[in-house]
Amino acid sequence: MSEFKALTEAVVKGDIKTAIAETQNALDAGSNAQSILDKGLIATMDEVGERFSKRLIFVPQMLRSAKTMQECTKLLQPFFQEGDVTSKGKVLIGTVKGDLHDIGKNLVSMMMEGAGFTITDLGVDVSPEKFVQKAQEVEPDIVAMSALLSTTMPAMPQTIEALQKAGLRDKIRVMIGGAPVTEKYAQQITADSYASDAGSAVSKAKKLLGVS
Amino acid sequence: MEIPTFQPRLKVLNREQALAIHTAALEILEKIGFKMEHPGALEMLAGAGGKVSNGNWVKLPAYLVEEALTSAPKQIALYDQKGNKTMPLVNGNPFYGTGSDATFTLDLETGQRRRVVLKDTANFARLVDGLENMAFAMSMANPEDVPIEDIYVHVFAEMVKNTNKPIVFIADSGKDIAKIYEIACQVVGGEENLRQKPFILNYSEAISPLRFPENVMQKLVFCAEKRIPICLPSGSNAGGGAPVTLAGAMALGIAENLVGLSVHQLANKGAPFLFGPNVSVLDMKSTVVSYGCPEWSLTQAALADIRDEIYGLPIWAFAGASDAKVMDAQAGAEAMFSIINAMLSRANLIHDVGFLEYGSTSSLEMVTMADELVAMSRFFTGGIPVNGETLALEVIERVASGGPGSIFLMDDHTFEHFMQAQFLPKLLDRSRYDSWEEAGAMDLYQRCNIEAKRILSDHQVEPKTDKVLQGIDQILQAK
Repeated sequence: MSEFKALTEAVVKGDIKTAIAETQNALDAGSNAQSILDKGLIATMDEVGERFSKRLIFVPQMLRSAKTMQECTKLLQPFFQEGDVTSKGKVLIGTVKGDLHDIGKNLVSMMMEGAGFTITDLGVDVSPEKFVQKAQEVEPDIVAMSALLSTTMPAMPQTIEALQKAGLRDKIRVMIGGAPVTEKYAQQITADSYASDAGSAVSKAKKLLGVS
Repeated sequence: MEIPTFQPRLKVLNREQALAIHTAALEILEKIGFKMEHPGALEMLAGAGGKVSNGNWVKLPAYLVEEALTSAPKQIALYDQKGNKTMPLVNGNPFYGTGSDATFTLDLETGQRRRVVLKDTANFARLVDGLENMAFAMSMANPEDVPIEDIYVHVFAEMVKNTNKPIVFIADSGKDIAKIYEIACQVVGGEENLRQKPFILNYSEAISPLRFPENVMQKLVFCAEKRIPICLPSGSNAGGGAPVTLAGAMALGIAENLVGLSVHQLANKGAPFLFGPNVSVLDMKSTVVSYGCPEWSLTQAALADIRDEIYGLPIWAFAGASDAKVMDAQAGAEAMFSIINAMLSRANLIHDVGFLEYGSTSSLEMVTMADELVAMSRFFTGGIPVNGETLALEVIERVASGGPGSIFLMDDHTFEHFMQAQFLPKLLDRSRYDSWEEAGAMDLYQRCNIEAKRILSDHQVEPKTDKVLQGIDQILQAK
């Protein structure tokens, strides 16, 4: 890791300009793109995530580090073939039908992306049919649903049922979250996991897929 | 000669700051615009001079907003269910009450946090009914044992059955609010009575930044047409729905309120609208919206200043809540901080009393404690009357020059004045150590638990007539 010390520091600080320059420096010095990604960027983001979950840093700092990493990754993109970059898993996420709130859902999306998941974000007011249709298309490992209003919670079991009817339920893990949602509710509607906040959404997703 | 008593008052903005925030709010509406998803409201705004683009994006000229500010009534009065004017919401009058939609409650018997049920709404309403300083009830629960489609109708009916105080209620859309309205009409004997002496106020929320969903606007238009008082804050909490800096979050929240007010006044000029944007903070570690932070108290004190400088409309506020998970020292500190500041800044309708866990858990003990903290704040805000009787020079002379055994405690002046001159706590303990120990060495949480249980078992809520109860049941059963 010490070979990317300056890059690591820049990602931790969220210094986008320096991080991009250091990524370029590493490429110019002949470093392998995969190792820059693994040892320079992903390893650093794991450390940032760890510091966040220990409450040593704040959300905007963590998000800035994630943004810094994404900017650096763009520079590495040309060195990878399509499908080369390994993802922790594919996540299809959205706020359920009837609900237009998206701050929490967006935060979960960003943190999952920062942690190495591939995200397809369907936005808000996503009907069960739309979840199913997109699930058929992107074949996600996880479908994640959010609701802020208690009156829209029933759209969660409806979506699970729709996935079932489409024959997708066995291949997909379902996660739910949002202010009125509880662990007990997740069990009732046979979701596979419940997360109380964005940080735990990442660790629950990793646990569901057995990745670290 | 009578010396007027100065009553302590908190001021956090000067006139220039107040005007700058108001101007920024108008600029947001005129230059940035907002998304209006209710076709009827969109049409009204366009007809009045709003500029519509991309289907439902509206920019609103400042004069439209100023017109709405002029036509909205400067005073709103809420009545209890027996027709007494108990909540005149005019400048300077603070009224406290509970909050809505908690997912959990602290069980009165076990002390454990558990999922709320309909019975909890009944208990909170009865407790509010029995507490002197709680002026109105909200549900304090999103119960798991009622059908979710009609959840707000059921909690409203439950509140009506368990208190005669005014009720602040939640609804989902134009559909359930009509049922709730029907129940309210049953209680007071018809639409006209309800319009004359409203005992209900609706709380609805748009979505920050600048989004006005159809179901929310249905409620706003319904309330305007029926002249049910309403307030319509958004989630413009600093760092979440709004900029992290408080001035920007307030400007956005006020702009969103002004959209609501404009639609509301276009729908029915002169209908009552309670102003208030709810500007708390999104906690930068946990991402919860804080209910114990100093910022929320600060922004509502600022709103009170803007009210006094510009709007003149009564305002919506929060207090008596906490981010603590149990009713501990943090809960007490945060509750008192917001209760005294809401009063010192003269907020009008102050809700959320009794919430723990950033509004996710309700606690009967917390409401009971807050009742005493409100009393304490009222005493403080009353100031110090200065006159011949209170300066008591004659008493000083009498006691000082009296013989041995002459003490103030024995003087008639003490007997005549002590009940008004001092704050006499009921739950806050000042007993000597030995008697405290003898009485069970209880902390405030335990004492509040006992008091809450006592009120729930002793306090009689004047019941509704059989006719009203049958009417409510019919409405609940109707599809």
